[in-house]
Amino acid sequence: MNFSITSKRNLWWGISGAAIAVSVIMMIVSFTSLNAPIRPGIDFIGGTRIQIARDCTVPGNCDQPIDTAQVQEVLNTQDLGNGSIQLLGENKQILSVRTENLDGDRRSELLTSLGTTIGKFDDKTVQIDSVGPTIGEELFVSGILALLVAFFGIIVYLSIRFQFDYALFAIAALFHDVVITAGVFSLLGLVMGIEADSLFLVSLLTIIGFSVNDTVVIYDRIRENIAANPELEINTVIDNAVNQTLGRSINTTLTTLLPLIGIFLFGGQTLKFFALALIIGFLLGAYSSICIASTLLAWWRNSKGSNSLAVADTPASE
Amino acid sequence: MQKQRAYIILILALVAAAIAILTTIPPQLGLDLRGGAQLTIQVNPTKEQPDVKPTAEDIEAVQRVLENRINEFGVSETTVQTIGEDKILIQLPGESKPEEAERRLKGTAKLEFKQQKKGTEGDFIAESQVNRQLKAQRAFLSQNELDKEEKIKLAEITESLQKSNKAIALLFESVGLTGTNLADARPQPDQTGNRWEVAINFDDAGGKKFAELTKSLAGTGRSIGIFLDDDLISSPVVGPEFADTGIAGGRAVITGNFDLEGAKDLGIQIKGGSLPFPVAIVENRTVGATLGQDSIRRSIIAASVGLVLVLIFMVAYYRLPGLIADGALIVYALLTMACYAIVGVTLTLPGIAGFILSIGMAVDANVLIFERTREELRAGKTLYRSVESGFFRAFSSILDSNVTTAIACLALLWLGSGLVKGFAVTLLIGVLVSMFTAVTCSRTLMLLVVLSLPKVRQKPELFCPNLNVSNQSRQAG
Repeated sequence: MNFSITSKRNLWWGISGAAIAVSVIMMIVSFTSLNAPIRPGIDFIGGTRIQIARDCTVPGNCDQPIDTAQVQEVLNTQDLGNGSIQLLGENKQILSVRTENLDGDRRSELLTSLGTTIGKFDDKTVQIDSVGPTIGEELFVSGILALLVAFFGIIVYLSIRFQFDYALFAIAALFHDVVITAGVFSLLGLVMGIEADSLFLVSLLTIIGFSVNDTVVIYDRIRENIAANPELEINTVIDNAVNQTLGRSINTTLTTLLPLIGIFLFGGQTLKFFALALIIGFLLGAYSSICIASTLLAWWRNSKGSNSLAVADTPASE
Repeated sequence: MQKQRAYIILILALVAAAIAILTTIPPQLGLDLRGGAQLTIQVNPTKEQPDVKPTAEDIEAVQRVLENRINEFGVSETTVQTIGEDKILIQLPGESKPEEAERRLKGTAKLEFKQQKKGTEGDFIAESQVNRQLKAQRAFLSQNELDKEEKIKLAEITESLQKSNKAIALLFESVGLTGTNLADARPQPDQTGNRWEVAINFDDAGGKKFAELTKSLAGTGRSIGIFLDDDLISSPVVGPEFADTGIAGGRAVITGNFDLEGAKDLGIQIKGGSLPFPVAIVENRTVGATLGQDSIRRSIIAASVGLVLVLIFMVAYYRLPGLIADGALIVYALLTMACYAIVGVTLTLPGIAGFILSIGMAVDANVLIFERTREELRAGKTLYRSVESGFFRAFSSILDSNVTTAIACLALLWLGSGLVKGFAVTLLIGVLVSMFTAVTCSRTLMLLVVLSLPKVRQKPELFCPNLNVSNQSRQAG
């Protein structure tokens, strides 16, 4: 199976261009309705989320699912009417409430009155996340900063190990992966109410680190092939490199996805969507390395007159 | 062969060491896994001077005040540490109802110098002895993880201590001398030079009040009660020589049997109590113990499922080398976990995700090497040479791809918050260990199999199914 990646470049570029356009539209829609490109979690805008489960050792406590109308009433009486309510778990015995940021006193007031209306809760299953608005902003800024630092660090490293244009197209591929992953979560936020938390930013960073792996392996091979056969046309060189590394790209993505699928299916609430973001990002990473980073490089070298440049291209190691 | 033997011995030694470490050092679990409350407290500037930020020294003093408040609370293994410039992180393991702790922690510290009431000498001696004993018991119990009985005992001690503190507070009366009147408190060597004492300075108004206070107490045997958040932290007596004028000039020293640490600690407590900075709880992450255990159980299932799937895939696709890679992968998992134990990584939920993810990445190095080995075989090289050049040629790719992941990890470590750091640390350690195991472990095992088993050497198809030697590859060279 030897297929020419460069000859179908318009197809790949079309698919990716459309995906990026849709992603950007999603983020704009999200921005107009939620005031943020992706529905932000309390990590970034502050707020309190309380998750509690009914104590099922009390007889009769868990016979009925929790009634959201009752919960809403409790929220209304505490001036928290715009809080959101979610039921989780089998038979809807777990209640998750999200409100503005509450201090300890108001929280314990809320918990007490929830306990009396809904039934006794088990203290040991409680989960509280309460984030002040300033901290939320700090978490967001430091996350975005980490993202930029990682981008920059990778550009510098690739420029040293390869050449600047390699680095630039690797980053273009990364950008592609990050934007589309963000677009998917923007859609999930609009449709299913899924929020981006600190872990979502972490997943974007991991996608950057991992996706560039694939690109680097292919670039490594391109460089090696150019050195070995300087007379070959750049399109052929790149097609060969992609084909030679294709098995590796697919298998590595697969072996990384397998544990992630394990986390997605069995890893519990906190990690579920973290794993999903990574799965989407890694798939995109493999695709963009094979189809986008390589074809962009081929197009660029062709338009610059590849042969002279290719000969000048000596490997940094071997 | 000699070299391979040495490597094998090294690997076996490392594995043995890793197992020894893992059995002796239990993994440190984060609060999201073992259950507990984590509070982030911000030390704010005062309302009067919103532009004056608390200095590092101030934060240290505030931290000491918060430690006192937390100790009052009766939870074991608490940690209080400063993060960033103006935040203090408090961890309360096993606490699933942090509301009470939050109430106690917030607000400005309250320091007061009080006068012991007349006729309470006997009561005070008796009560402070009880108080001291209770405090010693509490300190002893709070160090370790507690079982149920000990927890009940700690709660009892905490309760009687609160009663005792109240009883002591009743023996003193206020003279209106508070922390706002204090200018400074710091340790200094005493006149003999062998011991330490705590020097305290008051402002003008405070100096006058203090002179009056000491005048009325001098030589009576009754003490000045120094209270921090209503808890008596020191009770010095005033010598008879001050009976006429009191200790004038706003300066005094508290002597006692202090070593440097003791004097420093008392100084910090007094200083901390006088600081006007209000503290606010800006972040609270609480996880119930049952939920934490559930997360651990789920993570173990997820990790096992992931690991087993990867192991099966490798054997199914790469045959014999896949089996060898599986061996290397298990060595990898052991070494990585041992590294976590040595470095003292606190495992959190994202941390475990980092580890699981690193398993997939550890396989990548092997995949690169095997794909390369297969190519070399297809190009008509002998098995031994294919394995050697497979490793050699794949190395540049392995290095590049790991460095880029490491760059992302370092960015997270540098700029990320607590949860995020947990993930970055485990992934980074994983990446580093995987480089080591891929280059030493997989390679040694492969060469050992190839060199010592002649039957394997005659069957290169064990390494590359459907290898057709006559059909020379398209990219020789």
